Amino acid sequence: MTARGLVAALLADTGDEEWLARVPGRLDTFLSALPGPVRAGVHAAATAVDAYAVLHSGRRLAALTPDERETVLNSLAARPGLLPALDLLKVPVLLAAATERTPAPRAPVAPDDPPLDCIPAAEWPARATADAVVVGSGAGGAVAARTLARAGLAVVVLEEGEHHTTASFGRRAPLDRFTDLYRDGGATATLGNPPLLLPVGRAVGGTTVVNSGTCYRTPDQVLARWSSRHGFHLADGFPARLDEIESTLRVATQPLDVLGTNGLLALAGAERLGWRAGPLRRNAPGCKGSCQCVVGCPTGAKQSVQLSVLPDACAHGARIVTGARVQRILLDHDHPGPPRAAGILARRADGSELEILSPLVVTAAGALQTPPLLRRSGLGGHPRLGRNLSVHPATSVAGRFTEPVTSWAGVLQSTGVEELHDRGILIEATASPPGMSSFVLPGVGRSLRRELEGADRLAILGAMIADRPAGRVLGRDRTLVRYRLDPRDGARLMTAVRAMGRILFAAGAHEVLTGVPRAPRARTLAELDALLTRITPRELHLSAFHPTGTVAAGSDPQRAPADAEGRLRGVDGVLVTDASVLPGCPGVNPQLSIMAAALAVTENYLEGASSNRTSTAA
Amino acid sequence: MRGTSFTETMLGTVRLDTADPVRRIRLDLRAEADAVLRPHRTTRARIGGHIRITGLADDPDATGELEISPVARRRIRYRLTFTADGRSLTLDGWKSVSPRHPVKSMTVLPFTLYEDGARIGGGTLRFPVTTGLAPFLLSFRFPRREDPAQYLAPRWDGSPGRTEVWYTTLTDPTTGTGIWLHHELVAPTDGSAPHAHGWAAAFPPEGEVRHVRFGPVPWSSPAHGFTADGVLAAPGQLSGSVGDFQWDLAEQPVSEPLFTFPRWSWRHPVLPAAQMLPAARATYDGTFSDGKRTLTLRGAPGASARIHGQGNARRWAWLHADLGGGDVLEVIAAVSMRPVLRRLPPLVFLRLRHQGRTWPRRAERSAVGLFGVGRFRARIGLPDWTVTGRTLLRRIRIEVTQPAERTLALDYRDPDGAPAVCRNSESADAKILLERWWGHWRTEATWTLQGTAHAEVGDR
Repeated sequence: MTARGLVAALLADTGDEEWLARVPGRLDTFLSALPGPVRAGVHAAATAVDAYAVLHSGRRLAALTPDERETVLNSLAARPGLLPALDLLKVPVLLAAATERTPAPRAPVAPDDPPLDCIPAAEWPARATADAVVVGSGAGGAVAARTLARAGLAVVVLEEGEHHTTASFGRRAPLDRFTDLYRDGGATATLGNPPLLLPVGRAVGGTTVVNSGTCYRTPDQVLARWSSRHGFHLADGFPARLDEIESTLRVATQPLDVLGTNGLLALAGAERLGWRAGPLRRNAPGCKGSCQCVVGCPTGAKQSVQLSVLPDACAHGARIVTGARVQRILLDHDHPGPPRAAGILARRADGSELEILSPLVVTAAGALQTPPLLRRSGLGGHPRLGRNLSVHPATSVAGRFTEPVTSWAGVLQSTGVEELHDRGILIEATASPPGMSSFVLPGVGRSLRRELEGADRLAILGAMIADRPAGRVLGRDRTLVRYRLDPRDGARLMTAVRAMGRILFAAGAHEVLTGVPRAPRARTLAELDALLTRITPRELHLSAFHPTGTVAAGSDPQRAPADAEGRLRGVDGVLVTDASVLPGCPGVNPQLSIMAAALAVTENYLEGASSNRTSTAA
Repeated sequence: MRGTSFTETMLGTVRLDTADPVRRIRLDLRAEADAVLRPHRTTRARIGGHIRITGLADDPDATGELEISPVARRRIRYRLTFTADGRSLTLDGWKSVSPRHPVKSMTVLPFTLYEDGARIGGGTLRFPVTTGLAPFLLSFRFPRREDPAQYLAPRWDGSPGRTEVWYTTLTDPTTGTGIWLHHELVAPTDGSAPHAHGWAAAFPPEGEVRHVRFGPVPWSSPAHGFTADGVLAAPGQLSGSVGDFQWDLAEQPVSEPLFTFPRWSWRHPVLPAAQMLPAARATYDGTFSDGKRTLTLRGAPGASARIHGQGNARRWAWLHADLGGGDVLEVIAAVSMRPVLRRLPPLVFLRLRHQGRTWPRRAERSAVGLFGVGRFRARIGLPDWTVTGRTLLRRIRIEVTQPAERTLALDYRDPDGAPAVCRNSESADAKILLERWWGHWRTEATWTLQGTAHAEVGDR
């Protein structure tokens, strides 16, 4: 336990609480699931704090008394330049602490999941053939697999993650599931100033297993822009396809009964301001308000694609190979014209390889993984491949109320405030399992402990903005995301923070917490306005959730790596059906948009293949 | 147009999903492609061979296809259908060629077994480099892929003093009767009109040799073979009705062409004459009647041959022996009519196609040796004649017997009007001894043909 002293210092452990003793162990378990560089960073920071303690008091943190630890940390926190780094160190500690302090309620007995034809990669043969291979089983991959399987093709879906059942979610603590269900243990981040945390799911079902279940239809003005400006004419057929997807996912407006106090407060605040707001439309019929969407719904209410789309695909013959990371797309170069896709080469966890020959390869590995896959395959020649990345930068604000809110009881993402949506700002009341929020409690030591113990009186709002495509996905073997926050988007974020403060104050909050260490709290709106003039968007705790557009479809061969029908340029037989094919930022939670795009691209492919067969026969 | 053929042996293990034990598997394949193997392109080949799986399969007649594309597709794919325990299984796998691991990726073949399209197992085959590489490389051949029909078209260009022959010899396996069909075009040296003539003969094992002649009739210049006086010798078909004789045979070539004389001498007719076989072996189906008996032939072995030149040799001997198992021996020993060459002993042109290879490798070797040294020798006579010869590591001895009662003597005239006589037996005997040098001469193969050799001795 490398960070026992640090944990004791940050949480002002005086030995009075039994749960505090379990936090270092929980923290070590969590860190062990993170990528090496992140783990090393945390250990280095902890060592640096320990070294400071030695310089300051002559002993390491673990050997100091609680008062001495408090003095050391306050001395550190008095240096404004160190506050952001200290905040980063607090994130994993708070995760572990909140998990130990507030154990998740026992989940009800989960219903059986619809059957899936999942085969672990170890049991899949080294050589196989198929009519179509789908790389990735998330929103786009699932729809593509179902569409192709329904058309009678022998489909194999390859998934790097594992299959997790609803019952398995109910058996395990949220933090344990968190590290399993997210790529890099959820520690994916963008390079840039400011860095953005960009968690993406990795499991059968992809990010739909860990999203909030919010289902926005693609706004009409976005569809019009995609069609007219980008030449992505498939967008014209989206409305009917969105209907079909909504029907598959059983999308409906979230009833108020399990909405939770967090969402009700947001509704009340918006109502007092006269702003447009309402419960969100979600794909979770019968939601019990477990507030665990982001670590896999333990009740099976959320219709992630492994519960709604993939079972149908499997019923039509599709097979899912789990634990297989696709290394590259195999290409045939022995004929005139561009190369032709011939299948894929994938690697199992033990390093052994398997190959599947298939004349059609559908890439649905996500906007962050598809560009490196194409580069590894020798298909990364287009200058715009990996560029055009939009991520929906998001921040959150908490409001302290007199009465308990207990934000983690109720729907995780419950209420949408669309008053500022025309200006590219979408506010959503977003709670989370304890400690998993992107909102970081202020303070260190005793003040942080007080905040932690008063966390049940905090209501949390989040806002995401429609951003300019200011990011880029680099790398071949490992993904590297670079993102530079556009000044316009920075201004939008500040506007969003103020708007969230207004809602919270209108709802009755007596204090608003910004999460910014240098200006952590405001007690009035005027105070918040004054506070916001002192900070910059870069000081906000930013996350991002919806990477899109890195293999954008469009009619301009110079600007779009994929053609207007979602076929990758420069090769025959490769379709792109994940978020990367979207020409630009959809401005709303993108699950429905991705699924509609996947449906449009694959149906369009099947129509083309069928008309080719007809003309050949004629 | 050349093809490619090679053999390959791979060993490995296989496990069926339903049966736990790991079984040994051995694959002995022979691949044949219709094109020359070009490593940077994709070549498709037919494969056949023997597959053995311990306790499950021992099928010598596995067939399938091979896709060889080590560079363009980085893949060498094997698909093989075989029978195992009464079940029809398909082996599908490919070597995935990687420049990082050239040896491993070119020698390891992971595969999957299917039954009726459903996967039932899988395994890995490996090419044994230490013991298998040399035989593999030495097995590579690039045989010409030629249409036998092209060699049946008449070659006469209107020059006087030319003769051209289409002849077919075969043995009815049921009765042992030898059959000889001879079709000849003669363009006399004096410039008179060319004429066609020929004969058909039957050599029953018991009883007299019967024959019938047709022609001479004016030459009608057919495009694809020989047609005269109701007798036809065209690609795949032999028919005629002359006197008591009637025949209607379908010819099915089952081997590559065989040039008894050097190939260049057939293409550029600078030698007095040249002979070749459009197909070294052929099978015949149909009926043949010599007036006394009617034979119904089913897969009768034999061959058709072509001669083109200025006339017969001064003395000659010819042997065509179907040795079985795809092996065939063709020998011509002749003394030329040319002024200086007529003083030489007979020039021997010997071609032995044995185990898919033709020996000697070049046709000139047996006739002229190495700069005149080591020529093959023939002792021409009747009823016995012999041919002997050796190359560096191999030697052969052929003894032919043409019993008088099974020999037919026919006289005819060359383009220059000189008479010639051939003494032919399509039911001759032959003994062939092939030896190889391995410290001492060891017998490589022996063949004894009783009444199934086709032989002739002639002079003029």
